[in-house]
Amino acid sequence: MPLGRLGLETGEVVLAACRFDLDASLNFTDGWIVLTDRRLLADLPASADGEEHSTAETLRAWPLDALTQLDVRLRTGVGRIELSQDHRVIARWLFTPARAKAIHSLEDVFDQRLHGQSTIALGTPGNSTHNDSPKKPVEQNNPTPIVSAKSSDDDEPSFSKDSSEASWRALGRLVTFARPHAAVAVLGGVLSLAGTAAALVPPYLTMPLVDQVLIPRQAGQPVPFERVWWYLAGLGIAALAAWLLSWAQSWTLAWVGERVAADLRVRTYSHMQSLSLDFFSGKRTGDLMSRVGSDTDRINTFLSVHLIEFSSNVMLVLLTAGVLTAISPTLAIVTLAPFPLVVWLVYAVRERLRRGFARSSVAWADMTSALADTIPGIRVVKAFAQESREIDRFRATNDRVLEANDRVNVVWAFFGPLVSLFSEVGLLVVWAAGAWLVFSGSVTVGALTAFLAYISRFYGRVESMIRMVPATQRAAASAQRIFEILDCTPTVAEVPHPLNPGRVKGRIEIAGVHFRYGPREILHGIDLTVEPGEMIGLVGTSGSGKTTLANLVCRFYDPSSGSISVDGIDLKQLSIPEYRRNLGCVLQEPFLFFGTVAENIAYGRPDASRAQIVSAARAAGAHEFILALPAAYDSRVGERGGSLSGGERQRLSIARALLVDPAILVLDEATSSVDAETEAIIQSAIDRLVAGRTTIAIAHRLSTLRRADRLVVLDAGRIIEIGTHDELLAANGAYARLYNAQTKAAEQAAAGA
Amino acid sequence: MELPTKIEPETTDLPTTLQWRLERKSHGRLDCVDARGQRHADVDVLRAFPISAPNDAVALIAADGSELVWIETLTVIDPAVRAMLEAELASREFLPVIRSIESVSDGEPTEWHVITDRGATRFKVAHADDILCQSDSGAFITDTFGVRYRIPNAMDLDPDSRRRFEKSL
Ligand SMILES: Nc1ncnc2c1ncn2[C@@H]1O[C@H](COP(=O)(O)OP(=O)(O)OP(=O)(O)O)[C@@H](O)[C@H]1O
Ligand SMILES: [Mg+2]
Repeated sequence: MPLGRLGLETGEVVLAACRFDLDASLNFTDGWIVLTDRRLLADLPASADGEEHSTAETLRAWPLDALTQLDVRLRTGVGRIELSQDHRVIARWLFTPARAKAIHSLEDVFDQRLHGQSTIALGTPGNSTHNDSPKKPVEQNNPTPIVSAKSSDDDEPSFSKDSSEASWRALGRLVTFARPHAAVAVLGGVLSLAGTAAALVPPYLTMPLVDQVLIPRQAGQPVPFERVWWYLAGLGIAALAAWLLSWAQSWTLAWVGERVAADLRVRTYSHMQSLSLDFFSGKRTGDLMSRVGSDTDRINTFLSVHLIEFSSNVMLVLLTAGVLTAISPTLAIVTLAPFPLVVWLVYAVRERLRRGFARSSVAWADMTSALADTIPGIRVVKAFAQESREIDRFRATNDRVLEANDRVNVVWAFFGPLVSLFSEVGLLVVWAAGAWLVFSGSVTVGALTAFLAYISRFYGRVESMIRMVPATQRAAASAQRIFEILDCTPTVAEVPHPLNPGRVKGRIEIAGVHFRYGPREILHGIDLTVEPGEMIGLVGTSGSGKTTLANLVCRFYDPSSGSISVDGIDLKQLSIPEYRRNLGCVLQEPFLFFGTVAENIAYGRPDASRAQIVSAARAAGAHEFILALPAAYDSRVGERGGSLSGGERQRLSIARALLVDPAILVLDEATSSVDAETEAIIQSAIDRLVAGRTTIAIAHRLSTLRRADRLVVLDAGRIIEIGTHDELLAANGAYARLYNAQTKAAEQAAAGA
Repeated sequence: MELPTKIEPETTDLPTTLQWRLERKSHGRLDCVDARGQRHADVDVLRAFPISAPNDAVALIAADGSELVWIETLTVIDPAVRAMLEAELASREFLPVIRSIESVSDGEPTEWHVITDRGATRFKVAHADDILCQSDSGAFITDTFGVRYRIPNAMDLDPDSRRRFEKSL
């Protein structure tokens, strides 16, 4: 936003800025709302009274002291900002969810200003309403107002310009992956040049053979036959050399291609591992799998097969053109005349093919997704007897693959023979022009023979070059899909020089934490300090944000505003893997990997000894059931632990968390699927293990939390009660209601039994 | 917790007396007085199936998110109330109608540049699954922020737009 438009006073500092994008009648518009340390400035909003303001250019300003509330609400598709003075709404703006993030942060800053905090919100360390938030607050005596309007744009989608250009860039970027193998690639190039040159020799030798041996001989001149031998030997050697060279060249370049593809797979996979959870929640497994698997494979085929062919073809075409010109410029011009037409055709069809292949890649990924979706869910499919529907669904995705491929084939099938036609016509033209030139005496029969030999090779190569077009486009589409992953940056990123916390004590401070998934705010300002070694029980209705809060403590996500620090250091300053070494998590959905029981328990500490594994299993109450398994600790648990019961899976994941000897233990419904007796066993084990560890335990079954030092009751993203079990019962609030309901239910169950 | 007042289409065709009332307040807010005479300020009107059955299943939601009234189908309620509800839905529901498609990028997410009845805009669509085609060749497109756009009939688009749309499916 142009600074001049704001008309800031001397020393006035801009704290936050955002844009709204709808007017009162829900038409797209564009206007600014700017919060300074003194005023709220904004383009005239959609009128609060229903009357329309026609000029969007006028700016209004409200001094902050007069304002009482800025209320942002986003429940339906349209968001609403209401500004009130003395509990009367005086202005109203509307926006789409695309703007929500910047608007919410302006709201946060506004609230902080209003609630008497003298520090400027954006400047205080740890409070990052925006990671790349603009303005460091300047000293108040700074005469120039500071404006940075960038803040409001960071949630707007960025749009790239040209997709076909992008696909070429993607192919170009593949070259960077070939760099480590540059020497071999260059060798391959040299070999292919030599091989091409060797392939050009035979036709050249036929020229003197015809002109100086065969035709003179036919004309009755005495030509010794041994000269024929010489030429034949030359032809033979050239052919042999061309074969050897092209063999060596194929092999070297395939070697490079294979390695580039392998590097690409590993790079893609390791980059994916570095991405944050929100990347994965928006993607389908099958799609990612097909990107790492089949897209890299296509690139490999392209690099190791087609690129070689392509480069040697280009060289051959160029060299042939050179040789032809040297023999007879006139004939060369006639021969090469249709070539530009072919180039144009390639150009015309290229984009179409690339799009077709991109679609086919997407269709393929959809098909993989259908598999990746239903095979793990096979129990649900069978339980609801939906096998035939899933087959139909799969068939539908498969049909889409078929259809996408058919479309490409239509283009290709038409285009391929067209090129053959060109080469036939080219041959005809050369015969005609050659005959005419021989008649006029400017070209010998031998030269014409050589020309014909060259030209059939020439068009043969052009044809196969064109056959390369789809392969190139297929690879370009695949490369683009891979770089889409490689270009994602983790949203939970490490600072450039992260601190290594070592072993933490476990004091967790959560200060003013807000959290949003997209535009939806889940946590509205959480303040909580957990002392080292304290056990906190987190309770509250389903969906109140307990897991979300635990996720923030694990730093799976970063808070939208506010801060979480451990031992006084903001989590964002810490090295993520080093910090997580201090964490033991039992997630609400226990996930086991394909492997043995022992491997799963030792997942967080692969070097653990057998004795350690067993004692962790004992502590988690898992030892006995493990011994009852066919191969005890060496039994395979199946994919995702499919061969175990829900409670068994939970106990294994508790053991896994305990084995890392964490300073901070997060238990999200860790014992929800075990019976009361087993729970008591685990509970006593946890009681022992909790000692000395900061623990955040989430549970619906309140009896699980009897040992907690403090209970924190969450409701709709806010903390409504904190205290010990007895205190909260005495307070007779939300916790007491929950507790009484549970005990009553338990009593009823007992009475019924 | 109060039970939501249900209006059963089988029991009453056109209820003359409602168990609940709606009142329009300043700034376009709606208050609802429920069957017990309790007043709920600033209620939300939501469609439960905004895409698959927009005219059935409307809910009134109190400011705290709890459900006040469930309306099975709009056609059975008092026309005056219905008009009020529909006006409210229209003012809250943002469902731009796409008039023409200027460009759609390849790859995922696809980037759309469109002209709607609300003006020109750009948005991203995460996956082809977010484009829901109706049997009457209409379609709903949901962008990465959850904003929905509607194409009433793809056949009515100009040829370029239609080609871009079909390409994106
Ligand atoms: N990845 C996500 N994207 C969008 N919204 C989410 C996501 N995960 C959770 N939510 C929403 O956040 C809210 C809080 O979820 P959370 O998992 O923290 O609840 P909870 O308190 O752990 O509930 P429960 O006791 O059922 O486990 C829910 O309304 C949920 O719909
Ligand atoms: Mg949870």
